[in-house]
Amino acid sequence: MIYTLRHLTRYRYGKPVRFARCALRLRPQDGDGQRVLESTLTISPTPRTRIVRRDYFGLETEAVTIDAVHSELRVEALSRVLVERPALPEPESGPSWEEVRLSALASRSLAPEAPIHFLFPSVRVPLVAEVTDYARASFPPGRSAYGGAFDLMMRIRADFRFDSKATTVQTPLAESFALRAGVCQDFAHIMIAALRGLGLPAAYVSGYLRTIPPPGRPRLRGADASHAWVAVWCGQGWIGLDPTNGIGVRDDHILVARGRDYTDVSPIDGIVSSSGSQKLRVEVDVIPEGEAMPPEVAEFERAEPEAATA
Amino acid sequence: MTPPSGSAHETPSQRIARWTAGYRPHAGVPDEFMDDQGRVKGAWPRVLDRLGAMDESEIGARFASAERHIRDAGVSYRIYGDQRDHAWPLGSMPLVIEEDEWRSLSEGIVERAGLMEWVLSDIYGAGSLVAQGLLPAAAVAGSPEFLRPLHGVAPPGGRWLKLYAADIGRGPDGRWRVLADRTQSPSGPGYALENRLVLTRAFPDLYTDLHVERLASFFQAFREGLAVGAQRSDPRICLLTSGPMSSTYVEQAALARYLGLLLVEGDDLVTQDGVLHVRTVSGLKRADVLWRRIDSDYMDPLELNPASRLGVPGLVEALRGGHLVVGNMPGSGILESGALSPYLGGIARHVLGHGLSLPGPRSWWCGDPDALAHVRDHLDGLTLRPVATPGKGMARDAILGPHALEAERERLVSALRDRPFDFIAEEAAPLSTTPGWERGPGGLRLVPRPFVMRVFAAATPEGWRVMPGGFCRISERPDVAPIEMRAGIKSADVWVLSNRPVESVSLIQQGAPRVRRIAGHLPSRAADNLFWFGRYVERAEIVIRLVIAHLGSVGDAVVADLAGDAKAPTALRIRALLDEWGAISAPDLPTVAIAREALCGRKTHGSALAHGLSARDNAASLRERLSSEAWRVLTDLRDALDHDDGEARSEAELLGLAERALSHIAALSGLAGENMNRTAGWHFVDLGRRIERAINTSALAVRFAGDEAGAEDLAVMLSLCDSHITYGARYMHGVALDPVRDMVLLDAFNPRSVAFQIEAIVRHLDELPALRADGLPEPHRRLALQLRAEFSTGEAVDFESATLARLEASFESLADAIAGRYFPNGPHALRPEKLMGLA
Repeated sequence: MIYTLRHLTRYRYGKPVRFARCALRLRPQDGDGQRVLESTLTISPTPRTRIVRRDYFGLETEAVTIDAVHSELRVEALSRVLVERPALPEPESGPSWEEVRLSALASRSLAPEAPIHFLFPSVRVPLVAEVTDYARASFPPGRSAYGGAFDLMMRIRADFRFDSKATTVQTPLAESFALRAGVCQDFAHIMIAALRGLGLPAAYVSGYLRTIPPPGRPRLRGADASHAWVAVWCGQGWIGLDPTNGIGVRDDHILVARGRDYTDVSPIDGIVSSSGSQKLRVEVDVIPEGEAMPPEVAEFERAEPEAATA
Repeated sequence: MTPPSGSAHETPSQRIARWTAGYRPHAGVPDEFMDDQGRVKGAWPRVLDRLGAMDESEIGARFASAERHIRDAGVSYRIYGDQRDHAWPLGSMPLVIEEDEWRSLSEGIVERAGLMEWVLSDIYGAGSLVAQGLLPAAAVAGSPEFLRPLHGVAPPGGRWLKLYAADIGRGPDGRWRVLADRTQSPSGPGYALENRLVLTRAFPDLYTDLHVERLASFFQAFREGLAVGAQRSDPRICLLTSGPMSSTYVEQAALARYLGLLLVEGDDLVTQDGVLHVRTVSGLKRADVLWRRIDSDYMDPLELNPASRLGVPGLVEALRGGHLVVGNMPGSGILESGALSPYLGGIARHVLGHGLSLPGPRSWWCGDPDALAHVRDHLDGLTLRPVATPGKGMARDAILGPHALEAERERLVSALRDRPFDFIAEEAAPLSTTPGWERGPGGLRLVPRPFVMRVFAAATPEGWRVMPGGFCRISERPDVAPIEMRAGIKSADVWVLSNRPVESVSLIQQGAPRVRRIAGHLPSRAADNLFWFGRYVERAEIVIRLVIAHLGSVGDAVVADLAGDAKAPTALRIRALLDEWGAISAPDLPTVAIAREALCGRKTHGSALAHGLSARDNAASLRERLSSEAWRVLTDLRDALDHDDGEARSEAELLGLAERALSHIAALSGLAGENMNRTAGWHFVDLGRRIERAINTSALAVRFAGDEAGAEDLAVMLSLCDSHITYGARYMHGVALDPVRDMVLLDAFNPRSVAFQIEAIVRHLDELPALRADGLPEPHRRLALQLRAEFSTGEAVDFESATLARLEASFESLADAIAGRYFPNGPHALRPEKLMGLA
């Protein structure tokens, strides 16, 4: 499947900003069953400097400084991506979770894709005893790592309530776990903590999900959103599992970045010299090839920072 | 401290015998003083002979003077999370090591430091140790200090470590061994230096006679080492601190002063086009070298910890470009991770061809199945601890013993099942001991006390160099189980005794440094603090003067007992002003209560105490620029005013208190006037005072020298401006409006008049750097010149109430304009904001 993606971010400032320094992680990545056919990043006002480099995990990060006085920062990422992933493994297939744990640890590789990087607590994913205990039911001795992880995903899907009002982008993992509610970001973090708690490598993946408009209705412009899911190391490779929707990752998911948690992949990080308020507005479109861009423009405004929804 | 004791007619040898008679090392624990046969070791007889020649009262007095110096100079540390400073505890007995033993110890330290450097460059570079299986990948990837953005970055100057430290003690076999490696940003060299400075002062002959090795040349070499890799020949070297809340801020300030480094916080720095700069009152100035005393992770919110408020966005990019030298490089802290220690011996054999001559205790990483099996079988004799101990400040120095973990043992065993690789186990061994004083029934005696010694090695142009000394922490508790060296510890000097007299070296540079008269560019943040320091001192002074006026002591016979009549309009207006300035909580309290609150109020933001404390806070951020005398006076001022609010006091007592406080303020003015170099720093302190005095005097004139002012008002006005004596001498016929206005507003010879302040302000601004190249006056200067013109050409009759009110506002605007020009990024200014998160 080929997708056209548009991700527009606008910060509106209460008072003019003299200086801004940002790190942008908005270009989808090649590899992992997808190929980027075309990609542009437009920034306004025009930056003073733009430095593109790859971070440790291979993610393209663009460091930008802006020294023009501005009241709005606008970043628009446009891309076309071909997604063609292999079928998911057979249920309950692959090595046992105990073997996976031992082999991940015994590996002598520090390469970016090596599972060892995704085995330890990270900024947004502390290890929480309750979360580890929650995971145990999915991992009886000898079960395949993939089987256990898939079961864990389905349990999260069943036990947790999707509620975009329950959490914010800042909510700690232990809190959303206790609430049994949140959005895709929370579910991904919880599932990662659960797997790592038992010594299994798990990564955070950001990207987009294809949505199907209601029957007979056209696609609303800007109505899509960024999404997050989990990549699990199951012994032979990384397998994407989406706890928000309870599905394995195939051609409906478009990957932007993989990291240890949200912090590694957050689309825009930055610091501005300002004292006033900020208003953030995000528009995302995920258009499968062959479908026309709809004429309507529907934007959702957010006064508060909010986590991704999907 | 050692108090006088023992009988007066005791001979030195009797005294020494009494000190040592009961000395017994603990069984199986090596001791510095006595071997297991009961023989006194090494140089101790020499040291005791010299100490024993003094009677105990003299020794006590000398140590007491050293301790007093430490307290007065404010040498202190802070326990993480604690608001208070703790005076640095100086122990009384040094740790003594002979030259020969020290030499082999230093060789071991140098070997270890070199290995650490090698391991760091491999971890962040080729990665051969992991690839060859000499180091588990998890030991690297699992450390929060493995900073991936630094991977592949070549440190400018070629070194990851500029300063390495090791905490050492003796193992059960009597050999030295390393209890912990310090590679992040080792604290303590400044305390070692401070211990040495005060004790040398207290026992000058002792150091010379006993041939104690000096420390100065080590620091000189360290400073030279810091500059290696800088792109300019005369690099600007900064010490990056997290600020006065850091547990070791005072140490950092002392080191900055001693080594001649610019003490900066993250806010002082900015990167521009890949180059690091300091924000100074003369604009941006390039910073070539950073000696960081904040943890790596906080160095750059853009590429490292995004929550950091302490670092500099873009700093890692500057490192990548090679335009900046940082010691130690961010990411160096990974070597403090326990996961490395079991593998260091093997790495040493691989790299050096032989094992470490200064090894650590035996240890096991529980991620290795064989090691885990061993640990499970021997849990009781081992110290089990998390690989990554998250630590802050002094807490990082903690050594966890098995009993410290006993309560958690169960939880740990369960954690060992899920994630064994998060733990290492170490052979549990008690700390070795060294003599410390204890008071027994017959006087003082020496007893064995557990200790940890920190030894420092600096990367210098000539290679690694070890500080001949160090800083030693000695526990006051006699038990020798490994203890957390934090509560109940004393520090001690470490004496390396040479066989020959030692040469004295101070920090006078070899070669020919360029002679300079300006001590570099003043960082904007420091300027801001200096400016506000001046303003707060002046505010404290005027509140005290108001209280004195309030208490009726308004000069000679001009006005009698104002406060006695609370209904008198002048007295009411004094109360109203104190209320308006936030010095008191209500204007209608009893006279004594008003005075007490305005002077000593802890809850009122405008009391003299509150201003004094604010001045002290500003001074606390300026420790490297402030003399210890000034700090002492500020402490005296606080102590004079800081009394319990509820304490009943008479008017006379309060008056005495106010006058004492005034004399401390006068002492501060004297120190600033006579002892501060006339560089930018002094200009800002004095600017702050002058501006504040101009604002206050204008405000006072509105109230006490307005159009309707009566004789009492004018007398108060003169008194508040400390001008009544001059006035009495100049005008024989008593107070009148125009002469008073002339004296307090326009008389440019009166140091209390507004005209005097504006003249001084203009002079200061003339001498401070201008940023505009087009020769036009900057806005703040234009405003100052307008005000000066008004005061130098005006006459007393022109200054009516409305004019006075306008002038008060103009001086406020001038203060804002100066702040906006010189410290737009100072602590009183707006801080940069993070972009808010998004999905």
